[in-house]
Amino acid sequence: MITFALTKALPGDPVYTLVGERSSPEIIEKVRKEIGADKGTVRQYIGYVSLLIKGDMGRSYYTNRKVFDDIKSKFPNTLALAAGAMAIAVPSGILLGLLSALKKGGISDRVISTVSILFLSVPVFWSGLMIMLFFSLRLKILPPSGTGGLQYMLLPSLTLALPAFATIARVTRVSVLDVVTMPFIRTARAKGIKESSINALHIMKNALIPVVTVIGLDFGSYLNGAVLTETIFGWDGVGRFTMEGIVKRDYPVIMGCIIVGTMLFVMINLLVDVIYHYVDPRVRIHGAKR
Amino acid sequence: MQNIFSKICKRILSVFCLLCLFLYFPACSSRNRTDGFIHYRLNYNPTTLDPALIVDVTGGVISAKLFNGLVRLDESLNVIPDLAEKWKISDEGTAYIFFLRHGARFANEREVTAYDVKYSFERILDPHGKSPNSWVLDKILGAKEYMSGKASDVEGIEVKDRYTIKIRLANAFSPFLNLLTMTAAYIVPEEEVKKWGADFATHPVGSGPFTLRKWEHNNQLVLERNEGYFNSRARIGGIIYRVIPEDLTAVTEFELGNLDVIAIPAYEYARYRRSPKWRDLISSVKGLNTYYLGFNCSRPPFNNINLRKAVSYSIDRRKILETFYEGRGRLSEGPVPDLLRKWNLCATGDYDPARARKVVEREGALNRVVDFYITPDQEMVDIAEIIQSFLKKAGLDVRIKQFEWSAYKAAINRGDADLFWISWWADYPDPENFLFPLFHSANHGASGNRARYTNKEVDRLIEAGQGSISPSEGNRYYGIAENIIAEESPWVFFWHKTDFTLRQPYVKNYRIYPIYSMDKGLEVSL
Repeated sequence: MITFALTKALPGDPVYTLVGERSSPEIIEKVRKEIGADKGTVRQYIGYVSLLIKGDMGRSYYTNRKVFDDIKSKFPNTLALAAGAMAIAVPSGILLGLLSALKKGGISDRVISTVSILFLSVPVFWSGLMIMLFFSLRLKILPPSGTGGLQYMLLPSLTLALPAFATIARVTRVSVLDVVTMPFIRTARAKGIKESSINALHIMKNALIPVVTVIGLDFGSYLNGAVLTETIFGWDGVGRFTMEGIVKRDYPVIMGCIIVGTMLFVMINLLVDVIYHYVDPRVRIHGAKR
Repeated sequence: MQNIFSKICKRILSVFCLLCLFLYFPACSSRNRTDGFIHYRLNYNPTTLDPALIVDVTGGVISAKLFNGLVRLDESLNVIPDLAEKWKISDEGTAYIFFLRHGARFANEREVTAYDVKYSFERILDPHGKSPNSWVLDKILGAKEYMSGKASDVEGIEVKDRYTIKIRLANAFSPFLNLLTMTAAYIVPEEEVKKWGADFATHPVGSGPFTLRKWEHNNQLVLERNEGYFNSRARIGGIIYRVIPEDLTAVTEFELGNLDVIAIPAYEYARYRRSPKWRDLISSVKGLNTYYLGFNCSRPPFNNINLRKAVSYSIDRRKILETFYEGRGRLSEGPVPDLLRKWNLCATGDYDPARARKVVEREGALNRVVDFYITPDQEMVDIAEIIQSFLKKAGLDVRIKQFEWSAYKAAINRGDADLFWISWWADYPDPENFLFPLFHSANHGASGNRARYTNKEVDRLIEAGQGSISPSEGNRYYGIAENIIAEESPWVFFWHKTDFTLRQPYVKNYRIYPIYSMDKGLEVSL
């Protein structure tokens, strides 16, 4: 209901885009009737909800295609991009975050921290273009745009991965620094456990909790589409689709994308909670194993 | 520990490099090209390819390759035969008899007949249909009755025989043949429209020189040469339109050879113009368009003609055109583009800031705040700031308000703005297209007259021009009307933009056209 109200509160009228630059009041009225915009907001809402209950998200005002079908066809692309970004960002972010924490104050720490801040501060539209110019125009090794196989996916994934890498590396660093001062690490060392085992089993496992949260949040937001990255690299994903819907006031598209996006976000959060169960014994329900 | 991590980092880097190398060959050898096909860029995915529904240029550009009308435009903007072999005009310009060529076939191999023309035209006017383009054909006798549901068919459309159709108009309308060159007047096969229903928009079937082979939404459209085309076949095997929203990405694709022709983005114009490698490969065409600063003439302060003229005197348009716009257009003195004007237009006064200031003071508008509505488009923002600084010197305080495109259009259609920046592009090459929608008082708001300009004499002259039988008679009326409009300044007339494209050296016989429907893709070769 909030989404519907917000969508309707947006200034602008899709009818003017639908009818083109030259149209009579009769045509405008006809088109308005056609898309149901002549009805009151409450009636439109009831109509939309009843459609939704039947599993129908309606059709785009412009393309007349089913919104659900469009989202379904674009979602795999968005998922691939998000997964690609995470595949780059998660291992590199965790490893370099850990390295940064273990070498606190050293050159590696300073370099990694500076690079992380740089990647966080640089806007995606700039880093994306630079990545494209370097790999496509200069080195000529990857295509600059298009939707398709791995070679098309690599550059947008890398672009998306930069800020995600920076966040993960920084959170890992802070988290590890927090964990290394814990008494159980001292105890582990006192027991004579090998340093590499302490790092891998004791420190990392405990430091992962906030990192998993960050990964979940980033992944969830990427699944809702990365508008700028998808636009720069001509990637046919949900983000571009949503943005075009917003720009053209294509209400069924906006509603459909937000509903699906919200559901995905909730599901990712649920998944993160499930992962907590394995990573952090404290969140397990007492007696669950009985 | 450090060693382990540097090893891991090195390994990640080498995996990435290996991946790049692995992808190098498929990426570079294929380079996204299909042999014999020309590769163009689209800024965005066309919303529909159903001629009845198309309102955007992108849809119009593609549908021109897939469909035919009864007539079309040649390179000199003359109306020439297309599906109609010839035609006869009678009854003082109110009756048109079209004789269709024999043997023209749709892509489903059925012959195009006069019945298809009747079906296609009535489909546009159908009261239960969705077409927003009924204005293109509503001059036909009985169209209004049909559109309101009072008649079962359009009285003025009469099939004489399989290859002859007579169209009678309610009144003489001189631009009628020009209107028939538009997308909405393309001929479609009834059986395909019925078969696909709403999905005809994505499965268009026409009689044009190309057919749609594949449409990957938001990625690419592939058109293939129609081997059974009734006229001379295209020289290329097909056209691939790649959807690339970002200008710099398109430039990169072009420089890599993945696109054959691109429209030159404004910020790249100077670079290509200077480049010895590219400058000879630039094509240009004088566009049939007018860029203008519109006033809201229906309310203070710009219902005052003197104040409108003062704004006009206060802006150095020539300087803006030559510096900021890098000479990518011709200065405009009135709404009708120079290419369509066959009469003299009295100059209404050049840049004169002192005079502008005096008028503003005399009219009691000094330091008056006026709202200037624009969209966030960077070029528009820059121009608005330039205009703001000129008007400040004239004593007007311009408050720039940015709106996203849909909200902007709704606001200027409602008449919320004092000033707005917009352009008008020809649908068909007739002065009427720049006068009736934009200045007739029946068209306030969304119909085109966003300046809400009202002058009964101008209305009468435009209507007289529309009803003229000969072009010279029509031009006489239009000429007087345009002179009155230029004198009353409902707009500050800025420029007629020239379009520039860049092509690869191997692209031959490439031409750029002033109207999207003119390019059938027949001449260009690789």
